[in-house]
Amino acid sequence: MAQWVAIGVLALLLLAAVLPGVLAPGDPLAIDPAQAFLSPRWGHPFGTDESGRDIYTRVVHGAAPSLVIGVAATAIGILLALVLGLAAALGGRVVDFGVSRLLEVLFAFPGLLLALLVITVYGPGIVTSTIAVGLATAPGYARIIRSQTRSVASAPYIEAAVVLGRSRGRILVQHILPNAVVPVFVLVTLGVGQAIVWAAALSYLGLGAEPPAAEWGAMLFAGKNYLATAWWMTFFPGLAIVLSAVAATVLGRALQRRGPR
Amino acid sequence: MTATTAILLAGCAGASPATTESTPVAGGTLTYATGFGEPTCLDPHVGGNMPQALLGTNVLESLFSQDADGAIVPWLATAGTPSADGLSWDITLRDDVTFTDGTPFDAEAVKANVEHMKDPATASSTAILALGKVADVEVVDPTTARFVLSEPDSALLESLAQTWLAMESPAGLTRSQEENCEAPIGTGPFTVESWTKQDNVTLVRNESYNSSPTGAAHEGTAYLDKIVWRFIPDPATRFAALQAGQVDVIDEMQPDNVVTATSSEDLAVLQGALPGASIRLELNSGYAPFDDERVRKAFIASADVNPGIESLFFGTVERSYSVLSTSTPYGASYEDDFAIDVDKANTLLDEAGWTTRDADGYRTKDGQRLTVDFPISTNQSIPAEQSLFEQIQATTKEVGFDVQLHPLDLSSWYASLAAWDFGVTSAIYTKNSADVLRILYDSANIQPAPSGYHPNHSHVDIPELDELLTKAGQTTDADERAAAYADAQKILSDGAYVLPLYDHLQKIGYRTSVQGLSLLPTLQLPYLADAWVQ
Repeated sequence: MAQWVAIGVLALLLLAAVLPGVLAPGDPLAIDPAQAFLSPRWGHPFGTDESGRDIYTRVVHGAAPSLVIGVAATAIGILLALVLGLAAALGGRVVDFGVSRLLEVLFAFPGLLLALLVITVYGPGIVTSTIAVGLATAPGYARIIRSQTRSVASAPYIEAAVVLGRSRGRILVQHILPNAVVPVFVLVTLGVGQAIVWAAALSYLGLGAEPPAAEWGAMLFAGKNYLATAWWMTFFPGLAIVLSAVAATVLGRALQRRGPR
Repeated sequence: MTATTAILLAGCAGASPATTESTPVAGGTLTYATGFGEPTCLDPHVGGNMPQALLGTNVLESLFSQDADGAIVPWLATAGTPSADGLSWDITLRDDVTFTDGTPFDAEAVKANVEHMKDPATASSTAILALGKVADVEVVDPTTARFVLSEPDSALLESLAQTWLAMESPAGLTRSQEENCEAPIGTGPFTVESWTKQDNVTLVRNESYNSSPTGAAHEGTAYLDKIVWRFIPDPATRFAALQAGQVDVIDEMQPDNVVTATSSEDLAVLQGALPGASIRLELNSGYAPFDDERVRKAFIASADVNPGIESLFFGTVERSYSVLSTSTPYGASYEDDFAIDVDKANTLLDEAGWTTRDADGYRTKDGQRLTVDFPISTNQSIPAEQSLFEQIQATTKEVGFDVQLHPLDLSSWYASLAAWDFGVTSAIYTKNSADVLRILYDSANIQPAPSGYHPNHSHVDIPELDELLTKAGQTTDADERAAAYADAQKILSDGAYVLPLYDHLQKIGYRTSVQGLSLLPTLQLPYLADAWVQ
């Protein structure tokens, strides 16, 4: 049941990201100072912000950057993790030792701190924060891929493949990769939810999307100054972040339960 | 025209300090939470910014002060008299004032202070600019200091009234800079007891205080035993602390909080316009695209700010059409130069060659987009102001400007200004004299100061303007000075270098249990020697 609701939420999110005009035909950047700080009402179901922009329109249009950052950051994290994890698992003792120590060092930093470090060096912006979140999530995935690969590599059917004289490349691609990586895709679904939250956190800190972009974290930041007088400015973008993160998590858990192992 | 200084908002639950009927009581502790930030050094000679002046006003005192009308009045000095050629000033001093370390205040002390401010090792930026024309100080006798100038300076006494040029104990100044930064020694109503970094500075009463400024409600020692000076950078947190009673006074209030406070029984607001320049947009006329006057005029004719000022600031500020603050004499308004006219803006941009538009609706010329970079200092611009800039971005987009907002921390913002890497920016400059115009628009100040800061952000380079500003800074004839400043401001207005927004307001929120709070007129800073808590 819960996973169907989650799929529904994610489908809506996807629709908002791909065709925002269908759900909200207005311009998310159109200002109207005379209509500033309106509480939710007919015509402005989520109210308006300090410049009279419609918050419903902005929340809908904010889905695209949040989803793109979430998916792209996770993709970067997984790709990097694949390289590191496979190298550690299959590259021999020296490589394994080096990569494992590197991962431990990266683990010592909380993920968000690592992301902040990248942004401090390369400057704020959507691209940097995507890469930053991706880099910050990589160590976790890499460790899982490494241990998964190691257990697969020592499985009897791999030995069988070796005995049968298959080439190393073929064994890697045909046997090890699918068995080691497929479980990771469950984690990816969970990861997207987390990446969305992190991306929003970076924008909230003023390190992601630049104003006046319709982005959930940036909207939260603008709204927090008016928390006492205009709750709707933070409530609705906040709700969107929570819903998408929870939906991705619920779906991920459901996949995990049905997963190959 | 000099405007009133401390405007108390109407309807503040009858908390006007002037009309209060309760009797002052001595004793008690007042907690002040500032949003201006924590100084890196408490001695305002070093550097010289607002956080230092705010705290310094309670500890240090100046030679002169200003009354509510902006007129110069004596303080630690008793009088200042210029020579006939204007090249020297004899400043007579009080003979009964002592620094809190026991050192007597005299002409030697004044000389030591001026030398300290001008010493490159002190690394002053505000005081050293203000003393630019002072060549030397001679000790005529213990109560007479002679300021020898390189050229006449009609703003000398105003300059000396600023907290950044306050008098400190010469014995204190001979300590290491580090020690003096920790606890500068002055003649003020309080002394620095301790400084816990990133938390608070604790001030205690000076028991031998005898030098109250003109306009103070009472003479002699302060009522409060102690002031705890806290640093709370986030405006919403600061206001919540005031509402909860954790702190008694806050500064840098947000407009919506001003509205909340004025309708509350327990809270009240004290407002005053900081002197100097108004808060304004500076258009960088030295580089494309604003090196073309038509493009500047098109920007100003399309940047519709009035509706935003009304809605974002809840009626707490008024639109300004003057480069100078309303609390600074000689301000001139040329409202017609700032009328919104979209048709005119479009025509001007067509004439300037920005005739084509790209797919996003932005104008282009030779394949280049009409992009204007707008770095924003998030330390200096309050959230409502940043929202106003977003509205400027939206309204100028209609005629084809691509304004790109870049919110930056203070040092990154300074860096982009120093590199001239901007099209437009917002700036503040506090100084208690119209001479601020010379600092901001004299072509000499396109060149950066040793600190890397160039006050002339607009890159205004007009010989005729330089002449007018020099003349106004030297003449002692009030009419001549007024005419020169009016002409200078007309040149700026005609050339569309600056878009004035509103006065930089000092917005102090306090609990009504605090009585006797006022703003010292010189820089509109809170004066706590008259304050007491019930």
